[in-house]
Amino acid sequence: MSKMVMTKKGKIADLRSAEEIKAERRKGRTGVYLVVPGMLVLFLFFALPVIVLLSMSLYARPEGAEIGEFVPALEFGNYVTVLSAYWSELVRSFGFALIATVLALLIGYPMAYLVAVRLRQHGLLQGILLVLLIAPFFSSFILRTQAWKQILADEGWVAQTLKLIAVLPADGHLTATPFAVVAGLTYNFLPFMVLPIYANLGRLDTRLLEASGDLYASPMTSFFKVTLPLSAPGVFAGTLLTFIPAAGDYVNAALLGNNRNTTMIGQVIDSRFFKVIDYPGAAALSFILMLSILILVTLYIRRFGTKELM
Amino acid sequence: MSTNTAQTSRKPTVPPRSEGADLELKGITKRFAEFIAVKDLDLTVPSGTFFALLGPSGCGKSTTLRMIAGLDAPSEGEILIGGKNVTSLPSHQREVNTVFQSYALFPHMTVLENVAFGLKRKKDKKAMEKAREGLKMVELDHLANRRPEQLSGGQQQRVALARALVNRPQVLLLDEPLGALDMKLRRQMQFELKAIQTEVGLTFIHVTHDQEEAMTMADVVAVMNEGRIEQMGAPRDLYELPKTAFVANFLGKSNLMRAHVVGQQEGLIEAQAAGCKVLVPVERAVQHEGDIVIGVRPEKLHLHREAPQESTGYNELSGQVIDVSFTGTTTEYLIEVPGIGRIGTFSQNRGQQPAQMGDTVYLSWDSAHSFGLAGDEVVDAGVDQT
Repeated sequence: MSKMVMTKKGKIADLRSAEEIKAERRKGRTGVYLVVPGMLVLFLFFALPVIVLLSMSLYARPEGAEIGEFVPALEFGNYVTVLSAYWSELVRSFGFALIATVLALLIGYPMAYLVAVRLRQHGLLQGILLVLLIAPFFSSFILRTQAWKQILADEGWVAQTLKLIAVLPADGHLTATPFAVVAGLTYNFLPFMVLPIYANLGRLDTRLLEASGDLYASPMTSFFKVTLPLSAPGVFAGTLLTFIPAAGDYVNAALLGNNRNTTMIGQVIDSRFFKVIDYPGAAALSFILMLSILILVTLYIRRFGTKELM
Repeated sequence: MSTNTAQTSRKPTVPPRSEGADLELKGITKRFAEFIAVKDLDLTVPSGTFFALLGPSGCGKSTTLRMIAGLDAPSEGEILIGGKNVTSLPSHQREVNTVFQSYALFPHMTVLENVAFGLKRKKDKKAMEKAREGLKMVELDHLANRRPEQLSGGQQQRVALARALVNRPQVLLLDEPLGALDMKLRRQMQFELKAIQTEVGLTFIHVTHDQEEAMTMADVVAVMNEGRIEQMGAPRDLYELPKTAFVANFLGKSNLMRAHVVGQQEGLIEAQAAGCKVLVPVERAVQHEGDIVIGVRPEKLHLHREAPQESTGYNELSGQVIDVSFTGTTTEYLIEVPGIGRIGTFSQNRGQQPAQMGDTVYLSWDSAHSFGLAGDEVVDAGVDQT
């Protein structure tokens, strides 16, 4: 609360006592104290590891050194080496992530719309569906991905049905294909798409849809002219929350893919770190992945972003 | 059930160019689970009429409006616009536009885009041009590129009006469009709305719970209560000759007293109310014998300090002043009349003060101003309801 008044001379006088001013400064400092623990955690577990990773990515392997032995250096060549060796996995990762994001949007939007808008008057049903939506989080990510292996197995009903209607050749497989990996990614990240859209559509003022109908818009037109544009922030958040982790994912590719045409960049980093023990290479790839996502996301925000996120 | 047909007792003022269409509701009933919102409603609104549906909240007026707009489907009955049955048409195929109570402006569009929305859906090639004209009509053309959220309540209201009007619908529906505005702006918008309606000549259906608003703006007012139309007519006719206690109390104020008919002579019904003789013209009474309710509007009463000389054709009562309240232009009095109850009246403040608390006073009124209601009416129906 400020106690400023205009004096006769037209100057602004501060009528607060010295104690009050001190109290206000203390309040200001309290804010700073509250931020410190968070900053400390961020520094220890985010900033510091990033710095370590960055320096590691520039380490060099001396002639005749043992496996896993590296010396500090400024070996920028590491980046060139890994990029030229693994650019196709990088591109594939973004390709898979993009397809999975689009599929998750196409599947997730109607789900979110059903629960948030259509079932608004049916609290119980809405609650049940919402729980079902979140329920997968209660079981392990790995386990759920393994389950997809069973669903898509040659003996499974999906593959059998597809063979029956001749979409899949008689000797075809679903597992160990790019299809299986993308399906897994789509499934695993679907809730991240649905929940932000659901939260957004939950706030949709359906009176606007009545107004749009009143102004000669068919339900379809109302959707594309009113509902969809108004839910753009939710779609935007959902696509980012799906695309970013999907691009860096390696579990789906490892469990549902093969060794030929499904390898994603996450797998490469994993094997560089833990199998080949090429720390600088793995660190460099991690950085490339991080930077590429950053660039893509920035471009995306620039193009479609809403003010709230900028 | 008789069909209510809107007819003004004034000279039928033919709008300069009527683009609107007749609206007809035939036996409309709307049920929500166990609740009946609208009961067997028959209504005809001739084209070009400014028609007000007046009633307290929950009386079914908004539901009626939503059924005309196509936002709710009637459980029974038919809706005809310009003679065409539109009962099963979805809202986007009806030549009807609504000004919503919440305005319902699209927040992601500019003011101009909002106004052009309906025209664009109809593939009007001059959509933008007409939208600009519409904005000019409500004097907001300078704000065309703003977002609705940047506008004041009154401005948003005018955008909502323009958005509906530019489509030149056969019937324009207004759902308490002035409800969110403050008193001063409300008065101004009432005036503007009426002017616009006269100019465009469309059929306006205005839903409101504000009796003053309905009376100032509408050619025809229908008073609705519990899903039915209680009475319909020109504002003056409704005010001067209410047919039910609800209308008498909801539309302005009334003094209602129970009486028993004792005779009839020279076109006047003579009744006894707590020992006093009260006269009411035969043609102004709903019921002519037995127990009836006699009413008179507060401004029709004369207040005297001394017993007035008995004059023919005047009704007289006397009682004690139990409340005096000063309202500026007038002073209001509440007078307890033994056996009859409390009677309200007022006098213009012209320097004199006719009575004070506790005074015994005399009330008289021209019996031609009395109205007679059915004896089974609830005397305080519609009092203080909004």
